[in-house]
Amino acid sequence: MSASRPPRACRSARERMPLRHYGALGPSEAEALQSHLESCRACGREWEEVRRVLAAVDPATVFPGEAGVDWRKFTRMTVERALAAGRETRPKGRDALRRFFSSWPAVFAAPARVAALCAAVVVAALVLGSWLRPGGTRTARVPASGGEAGIVPLTPLLESAHVMEDRLARRGAARYLSDSRALLVNLVGATARCRRTEGRYDIALEKEKSRQLLRRKNLYEGDLLALEDQRLATLVRQLESVLMQVAALDDCTPARPIHDLREEIERRQILLRIDLVTRELRGRADVV
Amino acid sequence: MEEDDFALMQGVQSERPGAFEALVERYQRRLYRLAFGYLRHHEDALDAVQETLVKIYLARRRYSPRAHPFTWASRILANQCIDQIRRRRVRGEEPLDQAREERPGHDAVLLVSPEKTPALQERRELGRLLKQAIFTLPPRQREIFMLRHFGEMRLEEIASARGCALGTVKSSLHRAAAALRDYLARADPAFRDRAPEEETP
Repeated sequence: MSASRPPRACRSARERMPLRHYGALGPSEAEALQSHLESCRACGREWEEVRRVLAAVDPATVFPGEAGVDWRKFTRMTVERALAAGRETRPKGRDALRRFFSSWPAVFAAPARVAALCAAVVVAALVLGSWLRPGGTRTARVPASGGEAGIVPLTPLLESAHVMEDRLARRGAARYLSDSRALLVNLVGATARCRRTEGRYDIALEKEKSRQLLRRKNLYEGDLLALEDQRLATLVRQLESVLMQVAALDDCTPARPIHDLREEIERRQILLRIDLVTRELRGRADVV
Repeated sequence: MEEDDFALMQGVQSERPGAFEALVERYQRRLYRLAFGYLRHHEDALDAVQETLVKIYLARRRYSPRAHPFTWASRILANQCIDQIRRRRVRGEEPLDQAREERPGHDAVLLVSPEKTPALQERRELGRLLKQAIFTLPPRQREIFMLRHFGEMRLEEIASARGCALGTVKSSLHRAAAALRDYLARADPAFRDRAPEEETP
């Protein structure tokens, strides 16, 4: 026979039990619950059960892996990665503007800031216009209606910002490729023997490095694609496949998978192509 | 006295030396537990936490103190975990199973080897049972439970992070606690004797 439905007061008390465990009840609610528990045996037992279950679900029991992690090392690695990523990420235009604004004293209200910026743009345009007009060096001047002073278009300024972005993206890509190359060279030529098992290779470091490179690639995928370089895109895709294979190997891996990877690297001439593409990226990054 | 999370996040935004490191130290374990709740895999959870913290650093200037920093971090983490799950599906990787889940300590770079004692075995068995119980909860209920129990977030913050009413958070916690109790009573009648006795604060 099923148990009869508990009275309303008991249902309400039971709904509040987990909240009591988490200290999320207000003083009056906590007091009301306490007095109910003292007067109702069934709810008293229920509270003991809930409390016991929630206390048992402690992180150390549920996530045994957590205790085994060297969190100091993890912190260090995370901070290093974040700082490196911060150095490599070029500041976005919107962020730069926001930083510019936020550096202004708070006494300037937002509309005042916008008005000041507009005024600065107009002044800059007039100054540039008056500077360029006498020599006639710029033919792209837009005549103002009424034939008075012209305004120099901002396109050249935007173009130079675009060129700079392009250069930074190329440098980042070149760095990514040369780091990947160093890893592959190590894998192809100088893999350390595993101390634990005869005939196996210790690739724990290469695995970790592969993971880092994959993360970097994911983080900067947009920048790489923005370069619209088909050769680079194909190379990065093939490189990603090799890095994923390395990351999936055991720390102490047999010779066969390493041999297969070496064959793939040689067959696709990945090292040679990395050299060519990197050289081209570096050359173009220096020229533009 | 320990600096509060908002002040710490402000320190990260203004690039105060050591602020980001302190934030990583403070959040990494809580984020790991939440990530584990989504991914059910130790190494994937560590990867997700690291990615999330790097993203937090890169997006630090976009943070607005309207939300608690951990609420903001938990949203980034949830998106990161969803991305990882999606990528896993696209790449046709093996589905998550108990065997993979029970393989902590695989990553030699980050992990130290645990001791193997009878007490540890028993603890592991209890952990396995509790994990099973948690993963039988419906996804939304489980998420809310994980955010409160392991993420130690306030109920209002959970409601804000998950975009639901405060009442939903409260009722989900109640249902989750009842479901866990029922599951454990069914799966292991001796649980009552094994569970801790001490009073919680």
